Amino acid sequence: MTTDRVAGIGLALFALIILEESWRLRLPLGTMAMPGPAYLPALLAGALVVSGVLIAVQGARAPRLGAVGWSEWRHAVAILAVCAFIALALERLGYRLTMSLACAFLLVGVERKSLVATLIFAVSIAVGTHYLFDTLLRVQLPRGAFGF
Amino acid sequence: MSQHSKWGAQRRPPKPPMLLGAPRGTRGAPRFTGALLTLLALVVPLAPTAQEAYPSRPITLVAPFPPGGVADLTARPVAAAMEKVLKNPVGVVNKTGAAGAVGMQYVATSKPDGYTLLLALSSISIIPEADKIFDRPPAFTVDQFAPIALISADPTILVVPADKPWKTAKDFIEDARKRPGQISYSSSGIYGTLHMAMELLSHAAGIKLRHIPMPGAGPALTAILGGHVDALASGPAVVLPHLKSGKLRALAGWGDKRVAALPDVPTFKELGYPDAEFYIWAGVFAPKGTPEPILAKLRDTLRVVVAEPEFKSAMDKLETPIAFKQGEEFQRFFDADARRLAAGVRKVGRVEDKK
Amino acid sequence: MLETLGNLGAGFSVALSPPILFYAFVGCVIGTLVGVLPGVGPLAGISLLLPATFGLDATRAIVMLAGIYYGAMYGGSTTSILMRIPGEAASVMTCIDGYAMARKGRAGAALAIAAVGSYVAGTVSIVGLMALAPPLATFALRFGPPEYTALYVLGLLVLAYMSSGSMVKSLAMAALGLLLGMVGIDQMTGYFRYAYGVVELGDGLGVVPVAVGLFGVAEILASAGQAAPPEVIKPRMRELLPTRREWRESGWPIARGTVLGFLIGILPGSAHIIASFVSYAVEKRWSRHPEQFGHGAVAGVAGPESANNSATSGAMVPMLALGVPSGPIPAVMLAAIMVHGVAPGPLLIQQQPQLFWGFIASMYVGNVMLLILNLPLVGLFVNILRVPYPYLYPAILIFATLGVYAVNNSVVDVWIMLVTGLLGWLLRKLDFETAPVVLGVVLAPLLELSLRQSLAMSDGHYGIFVQRPIAGTLLAAGAALVLLNLYSVVRRGRDWRAKLALAEKGEAQ
Repeated sequence: MTTDRVAGIGLALFALIILEESWRLRLPLGTMAMPGPAYLPALLAGALVVSGVLIAVQGARAPRLGAVGWSEWRHAVAILAVCAFIALALERLGYRLTMSLACAFLLVGVERKSLVATLIFAVSIAVGTHYLFDTLLRVQLPRGAFGF
Repeated sequence: MSQHSKWGAQRRPPKPPMLLGAPRGTRGAPRFTGALLTLLALVVPLAPTAQEAYPSRPITLVAPFPPGGVADLTARPVAAAMEKVLKNPVGVVNKTGAAGAVGMQYVATSKPDGYTLLLALSSISIIPEADKIFDRPPAFTVDQFAPIALISADPTILVVPADKPWKTAKDFIEDARKRPGQISYSSSGIYGTLHMAMELLSHAAGIKLRHIPMPGAGPALTAILGGHVDALASGPAVVLPHLKSGKLRALAGWGDKRVAALPDVPTFKELGYPDAEFYIWAGVFAPKGTPEPILAKLRDTLRVVVAEPEFKSAMDKLETPIAFKQGEEFQRFFDADARRLAAGVRKVGRVEDKK
Repeated sequence: MLETLGNLGAGFSVALSPPILFYAFVGCVIGTLVGVLPGVGPLAGISLLLPATFGLDATRAIVMLAGIYYGAMYGGSTTSILMRIPGEAASVMTCIDGYAMARKGRAGAALAIAAVGSYVAGTVSIVGLMALAPPLATFALRFGPPEYTALYVLGLLVLAYMSSGSMVKSLAMAALGLLLGMVGIDQMTGYFRYAYGVVELGDGLGVVPVAVGLFGVAEILASAGQAAPPEVIKPRMRELLPTRREWRESGWPIARGTVLGFLIGILPGSAHIIASFVSYAVEKRWSRHPEQFGHGAVAGVAGPESANNSATSGAMVPMLALGVPSGPIPAVMLAAIMVHGVAPGPLLIQQQPQLFWGFIASMYVGNVMLLILNLPLVGLFVNILRVPYPYLYPAILIFATLGVYAVNNSVVDVWIMLVTGLLGWLLRKLDFETAPVVLGVVLAPLLELSLRQSLAMSDGHYGIFVQRPIAGTLLAAGAALVLLNLYSVVRRGRDWRAKLALAEKGEAQ
């Protein structure tokens, strides 16, 4: 199970899903003289399948999947979870609250810094950037249910 | 959450119990959650209630098109004048995407409390129809809106490059009949305003033209200036400088009356094609369900706005005549226009199916 | 010639008057801030300040907005170099070699070269704008759908040059990027492709969330959990400026980038982002050490950054000479003029010489201001790298999210950033390059639309591409490039085989 094999198969699968979706959404293919909405995606998906298979087939020389080093996956998952939280909460809780919570969680829960330093840092980043961009530059950041 | 001993690669000295890094069962986490919930329970009921004088908060006027376009340029003077009249901040927010569908859907689904309004162009009637013929659930429907007032209504005009042989609209239509599908025109996008204008003409005059969609009104204009297409239906304001400099020639207009700035250009109505009537109009809408007193106040406000001298001069600079309609009048105009456009979209059908 | 100088002199007297200076300065500062903020590009900055310009007169308005425009191009390189997050879509290429230089301790040098390159490109391209605006604009108008198709096909060839790894992997990444770029409303027929009811996807995934996700978020994902924080050599004060060798290495790339960026910039359309990509590929091709690209080649920073800035001046050419917006940003600037009653159009230069020449002169002044602003700030910015990484990356994440959200006020963009961040992280782990994906997302809608427009214009005949002179020339150039490459590959192969044959003969004897 080398990296290239996994990648190649993954890409080929993705391309096949695209082809299947074009079929299911009934996007017309058109002709070469008048390409339809599915024409170029089909061509590209075809190219992706071919290159994915080629990568997988030539993949014996690549490093093994485990050898690449995935030690940071827990951090990565936590960061992605925080991003998802931001996406969900940004318009419901408002910018400053969401960002303070997100930053605090990352620093306290993930990086395990002290609570006091975290709160100071998180709140000042959230409020500071809000002031700079919303008030000064009028970027219109969301205010949530609590008004901030 | 996982136990804290898994975080980080090294063993760390024991730390005081923390929010989420603490082992399960400490008193920290439940206490904090309890505090948070109490806080929420206290704060939420304090959220503003609906029984306050209108307006008491900033109003948002949503312009569903990018800055610099017709909707945006009309929205800003309107907002500025409304702010003066209402003595309450009124801000313009651009929510762009999907030819206006994103912004329109946003207002259609927002709270009908009078604080979110929409400045829509005629495409508001087109988009739901287009969704229907593609068998998609519509992004929004026209009856999700309560129309307040019409601000401007520019008829489109037909322009061709000056070096083309057609001197009148008659020449153009006759040539199109002789060579169906050979004369090309650009538009701001499929099922867009400039496309529908041409389609209405094609059906009224019984001609077939070749449509080259462009990603917006700007590229559509560039295409005809470069001679890559033969014709364009455009709002008068953007092409006036080119008409004056002689690069383009105007053949006819889609309006009920002739365009004030172009008194020599006949209308299609005069030429015997009354069905070719199309306006790029801009009007203010509120989500349906907005209480009637608020709607009435907005109507009155807009009536004062269009009489404001500053507003008038702003619109003059944009070369866009004000065409104010309100209440019943606007509703009739809007319904007739929507019917016309819906029929037009249905006639166009799915472009792919014709090939 | 004398008349031009006279006009320019009059323009300078306008530009150097205190109110105009003030507004140009305000524009430059805001532009730099907007550029530094990841994702938010000059378009957002200009649109936000458009209403503020209604109270000013036309010259002040356009001077301020232009300041934001090219200021953002200066600022965009800062986050690209320091944090590998593109400040705006056009700075993606700077992320690659700029960040590599920062890791080697040459962050200050990279920032300085970017600033100086931007200055040179900005100033020289204004000369082009000033002297050649009308004829260039007329030439630019001759670019119709077939010409754009040829240009974007050439852009695709650029993709081939961007990778240092295996050809198949680059092909796969290019295909992936192009596929991702096809999400959205099909402009020719009105079908929603792969949008699944999310209206915000109607205009596609958007290059900003994708670029910030693939580069910035992926970088954080890969680095945050490492036992040792990312190895960044902290430079000393003396090492902040580029060495003589680095200056020499950046000279020609700056020159080439300027010319290239300007030429691409004058073309109406969204081709401006491509300028930096093409410049990168050209530098790599021309370089005597192409293997350095991706690991801190000075030319990989100097070229794209210069191309960026001269593309902005190029974009003003059709706007001023013809009154035709060559993209969304000039469209907003045109609107700003229109609102003040100045009619844009082919007669603008003659009818409003004060506006035109004052504007040109203020661009010269603005570029100087930005150079003065940016160079000392290099020391300040580099100190950001000293912040311990566990504190730095949450702040970067918040900035990135803020920037991505602010572009369209849309949470959907944040989700896209998240997903592409995950994708970018996986691709890095599996040893794939992500730059071709971004270029693919940019090129796909443009290429597909112009191809189908051209076929609609010619009623399905592919001959249109060779019948029109400009398109034919571009395609011929592309074909020549491909053939040249194939030839050198074959030749190297033959040499290699010949050497092997000689060695075997030698062994046999």
